[in-house]
Amino acid sequence: MTSGANTLVLPIVLPLLGAFLLPLVARFGDGLARALGIMLVVVNIGLGWLLWSGAGTEVAVTALGGFEAPLGIVLYGDRLAALFVMVLAVGALIFWPKAENGGVKAYTLTLLLVAGGSGLVLSGDLFNIFVFYEIVAVASYGLTASAGNKDGFGAALRYLVLGSLGSSLVLIGIALIYAAAGTLNLADIARLAEDKLTGTTGLAAFLFLVLGFGVKAELFPVNTWVPEVYAAAPMRVTAILAGVVSKLAMVVILRLLVLVFHDPASIQLLMAVALVTIVAGEFAAYRASDLNRTFAYSSIAQLGLVALALTIPGTAGILAAIGIALHHAVVKPAFFVIAEKWRGPIAGLAGGAKVAPAAAGVFVLLSLSIIGIPPLPGFWAKLVLIGGAIDAGGAYAFAAAVVLAATVVEAAYLFRVVAKIWQPAAGASPARFAFEDLSPAMLLGVILIAATLFMAPIGTALSGAAASAADAGSYVARVLPGRM
Amino acid sequence: MSADATLLADLLGRALYGGAIMLIAIGIYAVVARYNLMRVLLGLVLVESGVNLFIVAIGYRADAAAPIIVGGVTDVAMVDPLPQALVLTAIVIGVGVLALASALLIRVKETFGTLDTREVARVLAADPAAAGKSTGSAVAPAAARETANAGSAS
Repeated sequence: MTSGANTLVLPIVLPLLGAFLLPLVARFGDGLARALGIMLVVVNIGLGWLLWSGAGTEVAVTALGGFEAPLGIVLYGDRLAALFVMVLAVGALIFWPKAENGGVKAYTLTLLLVAGGSGLVLSGDLFNIFVFYEIVAVASYGLTASAGNKDGFGAALRYLVLGSLGSSLVLIGIALIYAAAGTLNLADIARLAEDKLTGTTGLAAFLFLVLGFGVKAELFPVNTWVPEVYAAAPMRVTAILAGVVSKLAMVVILRLLVLVFHDPASIQLLMAVALVTIVAGEFAAYRASDLNRTFAYSSIAQLGLVALALTIPGTAGILAAIGIALHHAVVKPAFFVIAEKWRGPIAGLAGGAKVAPAAAGVFVLLSLSIIGIPPLPGFWAKLVLIGGAIDAGGAYAFAAAVVLAATVVEAAYLFRVVAKIWQPAAGASPARFAFEDLSPAMLLGVILIAATLFMAPIGTALSGAAASAADAGSYVARVLPGRM
Repeated sequence: MSADATLLADLLGRALYGGAIMLIAIGIYAVVARYNLMRVLLGLVLVESGVNLFIVAIGYRADAAAPIIVGGVTDVAMVDPLPQALVLTAIVIGVGVLALASALLIRVKETFGTLDTREVARVLAADPAAAGKSTGSAVAPAAARETANAGSAS
């Protein structure tokens, strides 16, 4: 056990323990359960921060139960993992469920989501990743249904069917890897990948894993649940699922790409999936007639961009992926906050700027950033992506062209909404926003502006995280010292 | 072990893979091509069993003993115990997910009055504002919450 052991184990164990205690604590009052849940999430932000600052000098690796890798199960906490532990906890804090949507049950599921999600990014073992993926999946099915209405039940069940099929595909992929390499430890697989996983078996395993993790990562063709679930689930759940949980699956795909599947065939496979996801997402968003669905499809397109960034070789690709993922994690939940109040057809939003100027202002700020207007953070994320793609040349230049074309479509449908909001009201004017309704979106808007002002230090920090995440050699050396 | 017995055991190993792939194929067919949600769930169970059988088959060796050590270390070949441990975990997770799915299935039947996934998808794809109002026929507690929800949304 190294000194960083506790900061690695606690972000998983504390929320998990809390999730089991919460129903008992709720016997002494729902408010107490709520306070305990929120406290645990705040503790997780702190633990993520400790992990982040510690990882600057020495990446924490823990072999659970004292069994050394590759026989034991390891947790690996580099800056990438620390970052997403923090993002997940911050997301859960801002969008902590409301009492009327499931109450203590929803608090419990949110804690499970935080525990499973932290495990997903920290785990250095394929089978443990599967188990944490299932914890995250089951918690998301439950949260989808937590509004307790007809749409919620229907969407949750259809989501569950696709989700469990995806989990079975993940399991087949893991079984194929185990059959070929004889180990489940990511570092050990990375060591053996060159010999054992470059052929058809490896590609088949990667295909199954991408399809399986693609369910949560909203990749084509397993993302059909996205518009249904995001429309039916309570807004706070949608914000967490779209903003954070989808990125956790991407982190797993990132680890697999960096450590195991860096052969050309796997990269091309992911690139094709990513491009289809981007194009399908943007066009579906353009055709959508209400805000909620527009944002759901736009979220698919953004995750396609993250997947595309992952295929770009070297640190630039990883940096672009982290940048776009973080930017989307700030922007998209705020969009869904606005979409909750402004339900119904976009045509009915005329006059929105007059009744709710603050919401209209936040909407314009978010739109400008997600399209990529300088100096907002979205611009820098897209710049790194397109710059990296053009540097890589070949098929990547084509991919860069697709991204630019997709940006035009994105601008078209977002400005259409903006234009509609500033039109004079025709008939009933759209809903007003109470301060507490809009406050999460305003908070995220402030974070966005702060990120614009401090772009230079954030860029440096993320570059460091990307460089360490892209270094497969040091991952293997840290997990399996003396086995290189 | 005689030659015949080895051949038989070898055939068994191949049959395991064949059976696993068949179970997965039948299950995926049920999930993709059937519209009754109960049958879709049964399809999921078949896929899960197929995958579990597949994992056990990976650790299987025709001429090996069960991986149980009695009275010190023996030098006979044993089948790989790790896949069996994994399958144990996967089965437990599968049971949990199936229980959740059954609970949701009952709620869907109560609120939609049907288990046809096309019908459910049609309602979900409809305009959300209209869908919120059409749930008056839902079961009482769900309907009450629904109204509260629709009220806060408009």
